[in-house]
Amino acid sequence: MSTYKASFTYFRYILAPFSVCYDPSSVHTMGLKRKVEISSYRLHSYLASKNFCLMAAILFFSQSVTGQELNPLDGDPRAARVGGSIFSAQCATCHGADAKGIDSIDAPDLTLLYTNSGTSDESVFSTIRNGVSGSIMPAHTFPDAEIWMLVSYLRSIGLSGISTVVDGNPETGELLFLQNCSTCHRRGDQGGALGPNLSRITQVRSLEALINSVRSPSAAIARGYKPVLVTTEDNEQVQGVIKREDAFSIQIMDTDQYLRGFSKSSLREIAYEQQSWMPVFSETELTNQELNNIISFLQSSL
Amino acid sequence: MKNKIKHSNLLVCSCLLFTFAAFGQSGNGPSYEDLLNGFTDPSRWLTYSGDYSGKRHSPLKQITPDNIDELRSIWTFQSGTTTRGRGWEGTPLLDDGVLYVTGSNNYAWALDARTGRSFWEYRRNLPDDLTYGASAPVNRGFGMLGNQLFMVTLDAHLMSFDRRTGEVLWERELADYQIGYSATLAPLILDNKVIVGISGGEYQTRGFIDAFDPVSGERIWRFNTIPGPGEPGSETWPEDPQVLAQGGGGTWMNGSFDPDLNLIYWGVGNPNPDYYDENRPGDNLYTDSIVALDADSGELRWHYQFTPHDVNDWDSNHMPVLANIEWQGESRRVVMVGNRNGFFYVLDRVTGEFLLGEPFTATTWAREIGDDGRPIVVNDGSLGCLPDPWGSTNFYPPTFFPGLDLFILTARETCATYVPEEPADTRGQSNFGGTVFIDTEVGYGALRALDVHTGQLEWEFRYPSPTFGGVMSTASGLVFAGDHEGNFMAFDAESGENLWHYQTGSRIWGAAAITYMLDGLQYVMIPSGTTLTAFALRNPD
Repeated sequence: MSTYKASFTYFRYILAPFSVCYDPSSVHTMGLKRKVEISSYRLHSYLASKNFCLMAAILFFSQSVTGQELNPLDGDPRAARVGGSIFSAQCATCHGADAKGIDSIDAPDLTLLYTNSGTSDESVFSTIRNGVSGSIMPAHTFPDAEIWMLVSYLRSIGLSGISTVVDGNPETGELLFLQNCSTCHRRGDQGGALGPNLSRITQVRSLEALINSVRSPSAAIARGYKPVLVTTEDNEQVQGVIKREDAFSIQIMDTDQYLRGFSKSSLREIAYEQQSWMPVFSETELTNQELNNIISFLQSSL
Repeated sequence: MKNKIKHSNLLVCSCLLFTFAAFGQSGNGPSYEDLLNGFTDPSRWLTYSGDYSGKRHSPLKQITPDNIDELRSIWTFQSGTTTRGRGWEGTPLLDDGVLYVTGSNNYAWALDARTGRSFWEYRRNLPDDLTYGASAPVNRGFGMLGNQLFMVTLDAHLMSFDRRTGEVLWERELADYQIGYSATLAPLILDNKVIVGISGGEYQTRGFIDAFDPVSGERIWRFNTIPGPGEPGSETWPEDPQVLAQGGGGTWMNGSFDPDLNLIYWGVGNPNPDYYDENRPGDNLYTDSIVALDADSGELRWHYQFTPHDVNDWDSNHMPVLANIEWQGESRRVVMVGNRNGFFYVLDRVTGEFLLGEPFTATTWAREIGDDGRPIVVNDGSLGCLPDPWGSTNFYPPTFFPGLDLFILTARETCATYVPEEPADTRGQSNFGGTVFIDTEVGYGALRALDVHTGQLEWEFRYPSPTFGGVMSTASGLVFAGDHEGNFMAFDAESGENLWHYQTGSRIWGAAAITYMLDGLQYVMIPSGTTLTAFALRNPD
């Protein structure tokens, strides 16, 4: 990054809002190391926007915004709001307006970013700053403060899971889990692979979403778990979930949890089912308290 | 004495032959005449499309619908440079048994076409503050003239190489990359001219098409795609010169050329900002247009705008396909474009007269194109889905199959909602002016064959997801295409039946196949991911 450009950007994002929102003389109280040109650029509408006044205010109250490991704006909801605006302008084209990613260009779902235990504010900052080598994710020359605002925003939209401790009995829940769920779902070192691994599920899905997926599992089926019924040339019927598919082949996990690949030309039929292989657990089959017990078990530490 | 004379004649003859052979095959490279001859000599592939017309239709017939079962990979080459999120988009050039290939991140190679082994490799030392070039670090190929190769770069330069060594002969800056410019296309080589365009319409840039002298590297002319204040076309913009100066209109896909008319046909990209339009009322010429330029002067002869006042990022950076076809009882010189906005167009390429515009995807934004050539817009997005910003097709090449008169292209069926927002005024940063919600559950891709006389769908082959693969055809009745799941495929051109497929292991993104004869074998070649694969028949007749 050239010094010129750094200064230029700094002026536009950091100093200019002060000239709109505050006495310009306060610029020099910021302790900025770089000398910047102020007069040679005209003020644009964006600079007068409330976001930039807000940004200026946040920066004014943060002690230092350069090169540190912890997000200096952590806990300030205004930082996430401004970060959201920056996200819309600079990130949404590839990651989607909802930040859920665009598969066709390998742009990942950023709402899941913090569900990875290896993710920290620092690692997110570093990825935005440096880009991802060998991909279309570029390095960014935004000022540090703006990147921290993006970090704040990404943290704010991350799936946060169940915030309260569910009222249930985890010991009873474990038994219920082993009876009803573990054939297909894994938790820790126990359980099957046909459905999603539930070890960290309470950290990434809300209570409501979890209850819905038990009471009506076909309402929303995640990619990788969509049900299919294929019929081979010798009339073998195979139930499974679709892992991948292209014009000529399909890769599934069958309901016995074997990975099986088929050439479509070797199949009589491929039926894309609407109903999940997961049974519906109504309240007569699994009471609300029993469900709470299971969720309580899933919440308990591994 | 008699014998002696004979002998000496023979010697002269063989010397001449040797000289001719040496001249033609091993040293001096293709002349403008060779480029004009296009597919006449099928042991070559000298330009991006194989000839100037952009048809991507080879006369070769060794590989046929009957024997394509025997098509096998012969060798692969690994580039070692990746562009996750995009693809290996280049078209290799072939001359005298040597392939000249560019890859992502401005890598380039000369490869032995018989084995895939390299003679030399070039890697540009790119600055670490690339702008648009960092988010699309791709390249679509060399241009070649004589012993010179020409390549554009992600930091917006044009370079010339000695094709024998990979040594740099000269380089020229096209524009300041730090503002947002980049360059990715394959230069179009004419008689003593190298024609290039520029990327960066997502930034506050102003597009242009340049002609350079291949030897001196001096610029001969420039055509600005956004007019200056007071120039023709400026009436389709607000009077603010600042808006004009950063109006977008990238020219990032190379064009085609009609030597008889001496006209270059070139697509122009989106206005900037992409989605937000309150600061740019009007049609915003020459964005989302095709322009026909005089090759000698760069002067505009005619233009046609596909998407007036675009708010969906529907660049018109497509390969214009030139053909002479029967049109309502008379022979007509036409140019055809399958456009990102979802319509297929036929124009008279002498005058630019609008002849046909029909939708080729289910999701469109216009009910029809009126007789005056202007779209009758029925859905500005408020009525539901529009094609997404990558469009109903994109820059990857289509093919035209003469005789069948089919225009065959990769179509994308997508569903997007656009939310414009006033952008920050940020020179040097992308400037889309809003966001887009894409319903990824409903998208798919398809190879579609259109009757060029009616625009009607003759056949299609569907892919599971929206696809970015290009298309090529051969006179033996085959169509070669690639999909997003990594399949390289051959189809019967007449029926659309899939005849052959090969899983390359990575999506085919932006590239289209080439084909050529070498040692009596017809080769077909496609790049995919980091791999270039050469195919030929195992036992040709």
